[in-house]
Amino acid sequence: MRKLFALFSVFVLFTVLTACGPKLDYDKGTFTGPYCDDLDVFADAKKAAIGMVTDSGTIDDKSFNQGTWEGIQCYNAKHTSAVKYLQPSGETKEDYINAIDNLVDAGYKMIVAPGFKFENAIFEAQTTHEDIKFIIIDGAPHSGNYVPDIKSNTVSVMFAEEQVGFLAGVAAALQTETGKVAFVGGMEIPAVQKFGWGYVAGVAYANDTYDLNVVVTDYLYQGTFTEVTAGQTIAAGMYDEGIDIIFAAAGGVGVGVINEAKTRTEAGEEVWVIGVDSDQYDAGKYGTAGKSVILTSAMKRVDLAAYNYSGALATNSFVGGKQVTYDIKNDGVGLPANNPNLAADTLTKVDTVVAAMKADTIVAPNTKEKLTTYLTSKGYVTPGTITY
Amino acid sequence: MLDFLNQIFPLAIAASIPIMITAIGGLFSERSGVVNIGLEGLMLVGAFTSSITIHYFDQAGNNNEYVVWIAILLAGIVSGLFAILHAYASVSLKANQVISGTAINMLATALTIFFARFLTRSQNISLLNRADRYQKIPILSDIPLIGNWLFTDIYITSFFVLLLCGIAWFIIFKTTHGLRLRSCGEYPQAADSAGINVVKLRYQAVIISGILSGFGGAIYIVTIAGEFNGSVNGFGFLALGALIFGKWKPLNIVFATFFFGFMSTFASLSFVNEVISSFRIPYQFYNALPYVMTLFALVIFSRNASAPMALGEPYDAGKR
Repeated sequence: MRKLFALFSVFVLFTVLTACGPKLDYDKGTFTGPYCDDLDVFADAKKAAIGMVTDSGTIDDKSFNQGTWEGIQCYNAKHTSAVKYLQPSGETKEDYINAIDNLVDAGYKMIVAPGFKFENAIFEAQTTHEDIKFIIIDGAPHSGNYVPDIKSNTVSVMFAEEQVGFLAGVAAALQTETGKVAFVGGMEIPAVQKFGWGYVAGVAYANDTYDLNVVVTDYLYQGTFTEVTAGQTIAAGMYDEGIDIIFAAAGGVGVGVINEAKTRTEAGEEVWVIGVDSDQYDAGKYGTAGKSVILTSAMKRVDLAAYNYSGALATNSFVGGKQVTYDIKNDGVGLPANNPNLAADTLTKVDTVVAAMKADTIVAPNTKEKLTTYLTSKGYVTPGTITY
Repeated sequence: MLDFLNQIFPLAIAASIPIMITAIGGLFSERSGVVNIGLEGLMLVGAFTSSITIHYFDQAGNNNEYVVWIAILLAGIVSGLFAILHAYASVSLKANQVISGTAINMLATALTIFFARFLTRSQNISLLNRADRYQKIPILSDIPLIGNWLFTDIYITSFFVLLLCGIAWFIIFKTTHGLRLRSCGEYPQAADSAGINVVKLRYQAVIISGILSGFGGAIYIVTIAGEFNGSVNGFGFLALGALIFGKWKPLNIVFATFFFGFMSTFASLSFVNEVISSFRIPYQFYNALPYVMTLFALVIFSRNASAPMALGEPYDAGKR
């Protein structure tokens, strides 16, 4: 017993000693992303300490975690600050909260959490750490009942996926040779659904406006973000049916889709994939000529959100307690700046649609009901086997 | 219907090949009496080794056909070396084989991610070089039915694996060496008294299982995934399942893995098939289908399953 007590006191002493007075390294980083150069520098920004917790997956997942971290790194490259990310040891709420607590204990003043999986963890953390700012991307804090409860130190960042899905749909309709395109979703969650709804609406819009007759002949959710093999099989089935463009908003399932597209392209078929979340052009590269099967990508600029809120923290202009939407108007969503695989004519037409969206003359449907109404108004007939 | 089968078969073969070769690897190990739960980890090591090899060839702009084969070969070698850890723990140190195998899995996950990040600064390695897929094998693809099923849209690596499976069957059941191997798994003390070096044979068997799992991981990467991202999606565990489902017999294993590949391909294609998707059955049903069917098949066929008698027991010469 005495031994145990001794051990315990040593442990307590150690914890106290190491925990007292967090000292942060303020270090100006270097980062040169393709977009970082275009972002404005915040004038009179004070030193900021920004922490980030990664969702399932790693910091370089070519998706949410990476995008968020790049935004923070970009901020650090322009303004001296202290930045750090932690990868939680698991995927439960407790793992997330532990990681957040560790960052707070280390002295970080803002925590960025990318992904809807953080909803419950942020809900608790925003109350326990009232002096810390929280950014949750693609979700809103709630206690488990899905009623958003956003405290004044928290901002929930959502994206208008339906708008960029719409653009992808227009591009697909203009580019397809066979008149058949498809959508593969991962899990059936709002962020994925909105991509899909916008996509179909975009195809319907292009049919109506440019007098085309393109049909989304397959529209499905695989149900996971991990089944690479299923992605490949599904893509093979679709391409066999004569579909030549697949919009894959499906994480690892999308990896399988891209792989099947590469194999077919190398065998001489002409098939394409539309990427999601970030510019996936590099992931679709095959052969040595630097060509890619990625037609274009439906991008969500998580990096922009992370960058802007880092600046807001540093300039004391952080306003919490609300949900903000990153959409086409503030460049929060969009197609990549470079689209080597899109025809010039397609790009011009997509730009017209972007302008019309910014002027609110085109409103992409973001619910199932709105989609149905929209499709009817455009005279688009949904094939009998499809439910959105 | 026939069209649907024609579509399923090539994809099902592609999906089952990595599991098949890994299961055959597991067969060697378990026939010699060493449980190998570490198949997933060994596959992962193979997947990583092949990815990093191809990555370097990609960067050098080398697009030759032999790149894939070098990668597969290296994957086998490295996984074989990695398997020595399992052999050392479970044969020489007489540790619990299940725990040692689990440790292999955990170590492989950690090491591959560590080295991937260390060498490429990223955990995702996308590949430019991948295995070639032949749309039609001349003459053979014109055979009715079989031609469409076996010789259309097939990867060259699939033939390689089927050949290895045949060789494995021959070695295990038709050679003296195979008889000795099996005797080590059934009654090692008797084998020892007949002058067979049990320790040496078990080491060999575990290393072979490592090599074949390495091939499996590499083939998974060059055919199905096209990208390394720190996992082989549980294919190693499926191989372990197929090994038991196949009653530790090579031919049965080939069919067991194909059965699973067929069911999961059927499930995925059901999403796309017009007739089947018009039934409007929720996708969760199809996703569960391969596992449910395998469970049924296990219940029906595994009644007389007989594992090697000494499976999982460290060899103790003094024990009778």
